[in-house]
Amino acid sequence: MNMQTKPPHTAAEQAIVDSFAEMIGQLPGDAPVTAARDKLLSDISTSGLPTRRIESWHYTDLRNLMRDLPKPGKGSATLAEPLVRGSLVLPMVQGQSGEPSAPEGLELEPFMDLLVSGAAAKSLTARGSDDLIGQFNGAFVQDGYSFTVAADTVIDEIIEIQSVQSGGQVHSRYAASFGAKAGATVIERYLADTSDAGLSTAVSSLELADGAEVTWIILQGCGDADQHLGQLNARLGADAKLKLYVINAGGKLVRQELHVEAAGEGAHLDLRCVNLLAGESHTDVTLTLGHNVPNTTSSEIVRNVVLNRARGVFQGQIRVAQIAQKTDAQMACNTLLLSDDGEFAAKPELEIFADDVVCAHGATVIDIDHNHLFYLMARGISEKSARGLLVNGFVDELIDELDNEELVEALETLIEQWLNDHG
Amino acid sequence: MPAVQETIDQVRQIDVDQYKYGFETVIESDTAPKGLNEDTIRMISAKKNEPEWMLEWRLDAFKRWLTLDEPTWARVDYPKIDFQDIHYYSAPKGITGPKSIDDVDPELLRVYEKLGIPLREQEILAGVQHSKIAVDAVFDSVSVVTTFKEELSKAGVIFMSISEAMREHPELVKKYLGTVVPVTDNYYATLNAAVFTDGSFVYVPKGVRCPMELSTYFRINEKNTGQFERTLIIAEEGAYVSYLEGCTAPQRDENQLHAAVVELIAMDDAEIKYSTVQNWYPGDKDGKGGIYNFVTKRGDCRGDRSKISWTQVETGSAITWKYPSCILRGDDSRGEFYSIAVSNGYQQIDSGTKMIHLGKNTSSRIISKGISAGHSSNTYRGQVSAHRKATNARNFTQCDSLLIGNDCGAHTVPYIEAKNSTAQFEHEATTSKISEDQLFYCLARGIPEEEAIALIVNGFVKDVIQELPMEFAVEAQKLIGISLEGSVG
Repeated sequence: MNMQTKPPHTAAEQAIVDSFAEMIGQLPGDAPVTAARDKLLSDISTSGLPTRRIESWHYTDLRNLMRDLPKPGKGSATLAEPLVRGSLVLPMVQGQSGEPSAPEGLELEPFMDLLVSGAAAKSLTARGSDDLIGQFNGAFVQDGYSFTVAADTVIDEIIEIQSVQSGGQVHSRYAASFGAKAGATVIERYLADTSDAGLSTAVSSLELADGAEVTWIILQGCGDADQHLGQLNARLGADAKLKLYVINAGGKLVRQELHVEAAGEGAHLDLRCVNLLAGESHTDVTLTLGHNVPNTTSSEIVRNVVLNRARGVFQGQIRVAQIAQKTDAQMACNTLLLSDDGEFAAKPELEIFADDVVCAHGATVIDIDHNHLFYLMARGISEKSARGLLVNGFVDELIDELDNEELVEALETLIEQWLNDHG
Repeated sequence: MPAVQETIDQVRQIDVDQYKYGFETVIESDTAPKGLNEDTIRMISAKKNEPEWMLEWRLDAFKRWLTLDEPTWARVDYPKIDFQDIHYYSAPKGITGPKSIDDVDPELLRVYEKLGIPLREQEILAGVQHSKIAVDAVFDSVSVVTTFKEELSKAGVIFMSISEAMREHPELVKKYLGTVVPVTDNYYATLNAAVFTDGSFVYVPKGVRCPMELSTYFRINEKNTGQFERTLIIAEEGAYVSYLEGCTAPQRDENQLHAAVVELIAMDDAEIKYSTVQNWYPGDKDGKGGIYNFVTKRGDCRGDRSKISWTQVETGSAITWKYPSCILRGDDSRGEFYSIAVSNGYQQIDSGTKMIHLGKNTSSRIISKGISAGHSSNTYRGQVSAHRKATNARNFTQCDSLLIGNDCGAHTVPYIEAKNSTAQFEHEATTSKISEDQLFYCLARGIPEEEAIALIVNGFVKDVIQELPMEFAVEAQKLIGISLEGSVG
């Protein structure tokens, strides 16, 4: 009686299928890679884009939000200055890797080579049936980088993966492996060179061996018409520490997934996320964090500033496995909703199977505190500046936690610039 | 901190095989054949002498139900229910509707005696002096007796079974039924609309403060039956009513379905307080049997400055799926939700609330405490949303979970949706074991360990217990006492 009839493809779904047919001839890869691509595409074609009925996409109904796709095709783009002077830039110009020279202790290879040789075939899988980003990226991935930081090596200069795009479609992957006690700071940066609508998908996979300490910053500064679907998967070994920053300051339709697994005792994750949302954009940050062994800790703070008609989403799921005793996980999501037409939805989820743990999550949605405003205005600061100061303080607090002063300064300038442009 | 012996003892005390209400009563029943089709619905409607419009309403619901899919998003796991393998109607022989207490089968009265429910009007609940409670007793598919009806009607309060109300006050039922939980609201609510058999109806007229607590006790007795009751409570302008609900069922190996719908309507300045002590049979220690409790409860704060509060103590049922909610439509209206959910054995609970802020200056408060033990799974799922026009909406949510033992799970899934810049939402949740600091603090003050643990657990649930009406607080405290203190307290 309850016949499930499948609705026909939407324009965007059809565009995915058509793009694949158009591009498959040029996509790099041997037979197993091509087979993996075919499988992923057929999964998308069968199940369609996720709707709000799929719990992990509850607030980002992609079937509804993704209207169309830009045509694939090669554009040209120009690299920007790195965020911090003296950084090692791994260029991704319109989806194509370059040939940067790597310092000692860093092994570097274009991801395209792994596709051509077939070494990447096994990694072209989805996390589950609801993993649209993994499916989409896996089917279309063209290039990216794979790099390894040798054990006991600390890379001093900041590594900046700079993806710059002018319209079209770019699908890239970054596979980063950090040896035991290795250390590095990596920026994964997305920039638009033109105002042409572009689509980018990106999947980053991080492997932190025991004792590795990594700072990884996703800096999304896409254009106002761009769609960006990002995913980061990280696995932390014993005593490994990952400081993960996500800064969203652009894009029209953005979903950034973060999937972190604390797999070794003593592992620690710090997530700091700043979402600066304006215009009519839709931005979704979705985190799943698995505490899978005893004695792991994590702290997540998400701060959102919502202007205009922007819509923001944060979904954070902390899972504590049965054996993961003594887990300590703290999650907070604070939103400043500064416009009557703005929206924010938060779903901070806890899933706990161990009995000796401390887990907490908090979520608040507020306007600017009038007492704070009064305090500043009573000291002769205009309302506009006072508001600016408070909003700035609200997000800068998270940036200040970084060790590298130049980096802090660069990021704060960027945030200030955004607030000036949109405030 | 590893589980202390006292904690293990407590777990034992609250285990599912300690269920006290699992007895079965042999009573001759008038039972409809198994199966669900239009004839079943016509038969139920005929048995209740319902007006034609009611039958049409049911048949329409049934048609729509056939087009719906069973929801799967809740964190509960159970084999597929065969809706054709259930009796949709069962009533003790000789009872067609509530009568005077003297006409009730003494065997039935003994059931309620055993459950400690006062059906004789002079009786009072154990331990509480000078208080009156009007009771509507629902046994399988029918209401067997409603007490204090006359005294209530003097105050203008209508309190009767919903079947009776349909005959005596059809205009009221027609006006309000299905206006809070629409027929097609969800799978189980639609099923309920098609096959509901009884439940309570309360109408408190303008300006009346209901002179006593009202309560309904639901008892499932017959094998292979489902219980589908429907409760409708209306508080007119400035009225106040406090309503209590209790539920129990015999111990059986098969699962039984209970799919109820509760609708509350509060007009300007009215207040409804709805309390539940849910103690359906939870299944045995291996997870065999128990009630599937799939319930839709919703209150509509229709008037300005109205208030609805839900208080629930959940210890029973194999599976619980319920989200008592408030639609804060009137300006300055207020919704509250206080819950203690204790799961044990193989029980699965997915429960919480929804606070939908639509009016201006609306506020809501959610306090939820979940305690998981044994192999159980206990999920809080709650939604708080502020509509664009809900200026100055306020919400405070606190949901805490306590885990006892290492094979259970506690989950928290809040959905927070703000579409208004003047909304202020705060959500807090913690999951913890009894804290060593708290325990140490007590021990350092000379309190023995067992007492200290009891103290901490009681403190943990106190916020909720104190919201229960006096008469119920005593019952609930006993329940929590059994559940968590055992020999300790």
